[in-house]
Amino acid sequence: MLTGSDNYFEDFQIGQVLKHARGKTMCEQDNVGITLQVLNTAEAHFNEDIMQKNAMGRPGWNSRLQFGGVTIAMVIGLTMQDTGENALRELALDKIRLKSPVFHGDTLYAYTEVLNKEDSDREDAGVVTFKHYGVNQKDEVVFEGERQVLVKRKSHFLQEIRSTR
Amino acid sequence: MTEAEADFRARATLVRKGNRYEDMTEGRVFEHHWGRTISAGDNAAFTTQTLSFCPLYFNEPYAKSLGHRQILVNPMLVFNTVFGLSVEDLSEGGGPFLGVDDCRFLESVYIGDTLTARSTVVGRRASKGQPGFGIVTWHTEGFNQNDDQVIDFHRTNLVRRREG
Repeated sequence: MLTGSDNYFEDFQIGQVLKHARGKTMCEQDNVGITLQVLNTAEAHFNEDIMQKNAMGRPGWNSRLQFGGVTIAMVIGLTMQDTGENALRELALDKIRLKSPVFHGDTLYAYTEVLNKEDSDREDAGVVTFKHYGVNQKDEVVFEGERQVLVKRKSHFLQEIRSTR
Repeated sequence: MTEAEADFRARATLVRKGNRYEDMTEGRVFEHHWGRTISAGDNAAFTTQTLSFCPLYFNEPYAKSLGHRQILVNPMLVFNTVFGLSVEDLSEGGGPFLGVDDCRFLESVYIGDTLTARSTVVGRRASKGQPGFGIVTWHTEGFNQNDDQVIDFHRTNLVRRREG
C-alpha cells in the first residue's frame, strides 16, 4: 500500500498527543533556498554580513534568521506522515505563532495534539483539527498553530483497496 | 575631481526597498510584484525538503486516483509563495513575522499555475514593548492565472518606524 493504515480519520482521537519520530536540522538549503525560491526579498534571511553587524537590533540575532514560512512548513512537514499522509486536502491554518527565532544549525522537532474531529460534506472523509508544536534542540517552543485537514475514512478507502485487489 | 569623489562608492545612491510602519495606512491595498509560475521542480524540491510526505504532491498516479488531473502543488508551497511575493511591499522594511490567522486553502493549485498576490492593511497599532516598531496586520489573497482565489490569510508583523 502506498500510504499507512494507521492514520485515517477513524484512527485519530480527540485529546491524543503525538510526538513525531524525526527531527530536522535547519541548514542554508532550507532557509536561504526556500526563502529565495518563493521570492521573499527580506535580507535578514540571506545576508550573513548585515546580520553579524546589526542583528536587527536584537541581542543574539547575529546570524541569518530563518524565514518563518520555512519554520511553519518544516514543522508541519515533520508531522505530515502521521497527520496528512492520508489527506484528501489541506483546508486551513489558524492561530499560527512564531514564538522564538530559528537560526541555521537549530534542530526542529514536532508534536501534534488532536483538537477535534467532525464529519465533512463527503461521506468518504472527515475533518480533523490539529494543534502543532515545533520545538528546538533546547526544548524551546518556536512554533505553534492549528491546522484543519480533510482525511480519508478507512471505512471507505481501505474497503475499496480490498475489493479491487 | 578628487580621487574620493571619483570612487563609484562615493557617487552611489542607495536604491531603497520596502516600506515602513508609516506607509501602512488602514485600507491601503498593495498589488504585489512579479507573480510566480510553479514548476514541477519547485514542488518536488519544496515537498521533499520539508519532509511533506503525502503522495498527492509527488506521485502522479496516486494524485490521479484521487480525482486530480496531475500532481497537486503542496499547499504549504502555495502559502510560502504568496507570502514571499508580498514581502517587499509589506515587511522587507524590517521586523519579525509574528503570526498568521484564518488561512484557508480555497482551490487546488497544479504544476504550471501562476500565483499572484494582493494585500490590504487591516490594522495597525504601536508596539508597547518596542518603541521603534509598530504591529501591522494585513489580509493577503493569492490568485491563479484565471483570477480564481486559491488562498486567503491574515498576517501580523512587527514593522519598523521611519524614525525608529
